[in-house]
Amino acid sequence: MSNYRILNTRARRVDAVDKITGRAMYTDDFQRPNMLYAALLHSPLAHARILNIDTSRAEALPGVKAVVTWREAGTVPYGVSPARYDETIFCYDKVRYVGDEIAAVAASDLDTALEAINLIKVNFEELPLVLDGLTAMNDGQPRLHDQYKNNMCAEVHWHFGDIEQGRRESHIIRTDKLTSKMQDGAFMEPQSVLAEVDAQGDLIMYSSTQAPHYVQRTLAMALQMPLHKVRVIKPAVGGGFGPKASCSTAELATCLLAMKTGRPVKITFDREQVFLHSRARHQFFHTMTTGIKKDGTLSFLDHHCILDGGAYASFGIATIYYAGSLLGGPYRLKNMKYDGYRVVTNKPACGAQRGHGAVIARALFEVQLDRLAEELGLDPIELRLKNVMEAGETTCNELFVSSFGMREALEAVRDSAAWQTKRERAGKTHRNGKGIGAACGFFVSGAGYSIYRSRTYHCTVITKVDEVGGGVLVQSGAADIGQGSDTVLAMITAEELGITLDDVRVVSGDSKLSVDLGAYSSRTTLMTGHACREAAQDVKRQILSAIAALLSVPPETLDLKDGFLVSLAGPLDISELRREYLREHLGFTDLPEGPQLTFAEAGRIAFLELGAIVGTGKYKPPPLGGSFKGAAVGTSPAFGCSAQVAEVTVDLETGRVTVDKITGAHDCGFAINRTQVEGQMQGSMMMGMGEALMEQIQYDTKGRIVNANLAEYKIPTALDMPHLEAIIVESHEPHGPYGAKEVGEGAIMPVIPSILNAIYDATGVRIDELPITPERVVAALRTGGK
Amino acid sequence: MILPRFDVLTPATVTEACALLAAHTAAGVRILAGGTDLLVELRRPIIPQHVPRCDGCPTHPEGAVFSTIDCTMWNSEPLMAAGGSVRAAVKPPAFLLSLHKLRDLRGLQKRTDGSLRVGACTTITDIERSRDIREGWTALAEGADNLGSPLVRNRGTVGGNIANARPAADTAVPTIALRATLVLRSTSGIRTIAAADFPTGPGKTIINPGEILTYIEYPAPAKYSGSAYHKLANRKALEISTVGVAVYLALETPGGPVADVSVALGAVGPKPLAAASVGPVLLGRIPDETAINDAARAAMEDARPIDDHRGSAWYRLQMVEVLTRRLLKTALARAEGKK
Amino acid sequence: MKKLITLTVNGVLHELAVEPRRTLLQVIREDLGLTGTEKGCGIGDCGTCTVLVDGVATFSCLTLAVQVEGCAVETVESLAENGKLNALQQAFVDHGAVQCGYCSPGMLMTSTELLRRNPHPTEQEIRRAISGNLCRCTGYQKIVEAIQAAAGGQHE
Repeated sequence: MSNYRILNTRARRVDAVDKITGRAMYTDDFQRPNMLYAALLHSPLAHARILNIDTSRAEALPGVKAVVTWREAGTVPYGVSPARYDETIFCYDKVRYVGDEIAAVAASDLDTALEAINLIKVNFEELPLVLDGLTAMNDGQPRLHDQYKNNMCAEVHWHFGDIEQGRRESHIIRTDKLTSKMQDGAFMEPQSVLAEVDAQGDLIMYSSTQAPHYVQRTLAMALQMPLHKVRVIKPAVGGGFGPKASCSTAELATCLLAMKTGRPVKITFDREQVFLHSRARHQFFHTMTTGIKKDGTLSFLDHHCILDGGAYASFGIATIYYAGSLLGGPYRLKNMKYDGYRVVTNKPACGAQRGHGAVIARALFEVQLDRLAEELGLDPIELRLKNVMEAGETTCNELFVSSFGMREALEAVRDSAAWQTKRERAGKTHRNGKGIGAACGFFVSGAGYSIYRSRTYHCTVITKVDEVGGGVLVQSGAADIGQGSDTVLAMITAEELGITLDDVRVVSGDSKLSVDLGAYSSRTTLMTGHACREAAQDVKRQILSAIAALLSVPPETLDLKDGFLVSLAGPLDISELRREYLREHLGFTDLPEGPQLTFAEAGRIAFLELGAIVGTGKYKPPPLGGSFKGAAVGTSPAFGCSAQVAEVTVDLETGRVTVDKITGAHDCGFAINRTQVEGQMQGSMMMGMGEALMEQIQYDTKGRIVNANLAEYKIPTALDMPHLEAIIVESHEPHGPYGAKEVGEGAIMPVIPSILNAIYDATGVRIDELPITPERVVAALRTGGK
Repeated sequence: MILPRFDVLTPATVTEACALLAAHTAAGVRILAGGTDLLVELRRPIIPQHVPRCDGCPTHPEGAVFSTIDCTMWNSEPLMAAGGSVRAAVKPPAFLLSLHKLRDLRGLQKRTDGSLRVGACTTITDIERSRDIREGWTALAEGADNLGSPLVRNRGTVGGNIANARPAADTAVPTIALRATLVLRSTSGIRTIAAADFPTGPGKTIINPGEILTYIEYPAPAKYSGSAYHKLANRKALEISTVGVAVYLALETPGGPVADVSVALGAVGPKPLAAASVGPVLLGRIPDETAINDAARAAMEDARPIDDHRGSAWYRLQMVEVLTRRLLKTALARAEGKK
Repeated sequence: MKKLITLTVNGVLHELAVEPRRTLLQVIREDLGLTGTEKGCGIGDCGTCTVLVDGVATFSCLTLAVQVEGCAVETVESLAENGKLNALQQAFVDHGAVQCGYCSPGMLMTSTELLRRNPHPTEQEIRRAISGNLCRCTGYQKIVEAIQAAAGGQHE
């Protein structure tokens, strides 16, 4: 199917053996001599003024080595978006959610640290709470931050084309709403941080982060250190999905304690703290009015959205933009208006989570398409096929789609799931509890711009051939958090150099190795993939030119293939080079023979000629997007797209929804690793299904989470998951390495709406509040839905 | 998770256990069986004075008052159990009395009169895998099937599940429907009590300090009888039920009138409840569609559901009717030997 | 306050002085340095810390070390023999059942117990057996496929 030896195969992950033998080291697995344990004092109140903090009893406790509050940490504002730095390491004037951090302790053991936390006395003046995102911006509501009038953290007002014209052209116009709840990343590894200061005074922090580069910058800024004296290392990470992408107080406080005590300090979150820290999915309140012409072509979308983002901005500005911009595709839509409001409330801050900002918006829009199709008497997949974009088109908000297998994906799921047959069967015995639904999705393949304004390369890769010959080391700052980016880098390098995966070692996730913006916005395969390919080609060019010079042949006539240096222009006389290599290896066995130089020989001889063979690669996207305010968010060198069909059974009396099967197709451009592409799709299906049916953070009236554990914050178990069929579509993206683009997030887009549409097919009622709990289904059935 | 400091007592016999329990009551002792509930309950809270909980819990005074968070409370103030529901004030006990060495209390004994004696330390997995229980006391087997997850079932015990007295306890509800008797032992002897009378409220039972739940005795099922349990929840494992219903039904003859019926309800009151209203509606009647519908509606009268984060009182009440109706049909089919 | 217990871990007999409140997970990770067993929630909700105790899949986070005194404990480190992956591990690698890897040790131990008890489980039996082991990466699809393959003894 392809001309590649390694790419496009089902190569084993490079880290799999470590992970299934228990050798893989996650941050909490590290121990250091003299290591201290840290604990954080979290606010028990959702909104209060801090009147006084008394740490004296904590400091006096034997075993306590340091207690820090804002007095030691300072109040340098930080956050994710420079335009909205609204956090400080510790609260100093106010606490803004239950869990907000007030102090930290380092002690010789965890027990003592926790005991000391208990001894810190804080006097609060309780303030009225803002807990409802819908009313947070109303006049007269208590204000969380001085800088956010009416609790408005960010707003967006876009108008592309002319929606009034769109209205006039419409045959049917519908307005629908969809609300969701805040959700949690629920990665299996709780955040963990180990910080130490080395003999040179450099701060070294190991952290279960998705973005070592941004964390390095934030540490340096908030702790007021020179950037080059701060090093962030990401060991094995047990999943992130977005919430681990921003720098946290746990990271900052642990570093501060290490600097203060001169000893290594570790903190590992309890599962409850994962929920308190959150930085996960926002709560969305979407209202959409969509018009369609008689022939089934879309005429306009008028979209209004309120995001409840919790106490701080975090990634929220990007979230509110993404919620609007990513509806520009995958359908031809000339007229689109968007009004988005991101408010702050006294709940844990929300941030990025898989499908950043776009998931619930996508869900409502796809539900609307089904409703419009029904009113028009069109099959929902027909309607979609009528409207899908093709490669080479640009959306109304100026997103250029350079490859686009949307039609192929939709047709693939339609055929694979036997849509026609099941749809007709469902039609005959309509509302019998069996249903089938479809939906599509659209997502970026790497954010077009860095979070801070800069011309920076988004990634660099440094690849070096072992001086002894044979092995190759790839160094990258990219963060493998379980998605498999190290394996992608190893595969690209092995492919380019004509060697095996086993010849390549990848070291990554270290800010000292190279710049890489991190594992977010589904950027690594495309961006770091480009840089990795360039670095490998640089290495290859150096080896070939060195050998070519020695053999007096043009370098273009040489190539690296299947572990050998091969000539494209007839046999070469390599005897002299071979003799030199053998002379160096007297006493060794298993020496090279045969008419061709091995890769090991070629690498060694190139080193003898040139010194270190180091190749470098880099990538940054070209300037992208329009010139309107906020045009940067949503831009990408490429866009992934996906389609899914969900089949459900609804118990019409209890409201229990069982998902019987999900068939998904995703256009990833080109599958570097087919197994990993499927794995990302299947993981997305699970997360989307959980968000559709069971996942919700629940608060009491004091802003406290009542289900901050994995028993009551429900993610699907193996028994809940149906068979997941993942179909790979390859459209060959011109801007991606080897044609590759994203799969990590795009695949979640169609999950929720396909389930919503299937439930409607099964029951005849629409549910406009997520998650679709049995109770909500029963309530809708009893009232006949709306 | 960090646990408070305690010592663990490990008696080798039930007699020794009772003696140790009596000797340490004054100092503070809790009984440790599988530990799946107790250890979670005892863990140190992440926020001093604050564990996730439902509305109405006395964390701190209501309203805009000045609160000084002074944190010695871990050892003195009310704590909450996992899951957020209210639990009586507990001081971390100085001692845990672990039952893990009491082999006598683990296992099943089918007796000559057809009844079944289950040791309190029998794991949920043992219950789930017992052919005897699945044939004779199906509702109990079905309660075990869906309790927590396989890992919870491997550690958790039936005695612990009952004695912990959660309103939703998956083996307590069928145990009540099957009219089991609980055997309590202390240094002063043995007493027995009907399973329905054992719990008194969330986490509360009639058990006295110094008493250990040792056995659960399930009477022999009648000749033409069947039982069933259903747990309604949002996912298929790792769940606390929104509503759980267990039914035991006996016929005078196949196709004949109802000779005996017993229904128990979980998660719709402060404790697992016996639905006393069902009997009068169904006894002596041919269990046809109408009779079963009447009985299911009657069960609603016994439910006392509340609104909480797992479901509304309204939904729970509706589901009592749905589940009771379905389970009566299942139990009926089983009574008639159809499944 | 500490109690002396014996514990056989991965075939090695240990005599350990442990505080009664310490969990088996703490002893395995901190006292014995076997960090392959991970902690995902600490309260029995996720299955990440699963080990075998006398052959039974057990969450080590909610098991006191003193409760398993004298027992034989198996952790993920015991699965490979002489550096060679066992059939189940090999199937996890071959079928892409590993992503972030944090659930993998627990998932492997639970499925080890399953396959010893039931060498040829159906798909439903597999799903039920691992229903207390949460995974957020894979949707369980490739994990189920790997266990099926290990049970069938087939490798690609």
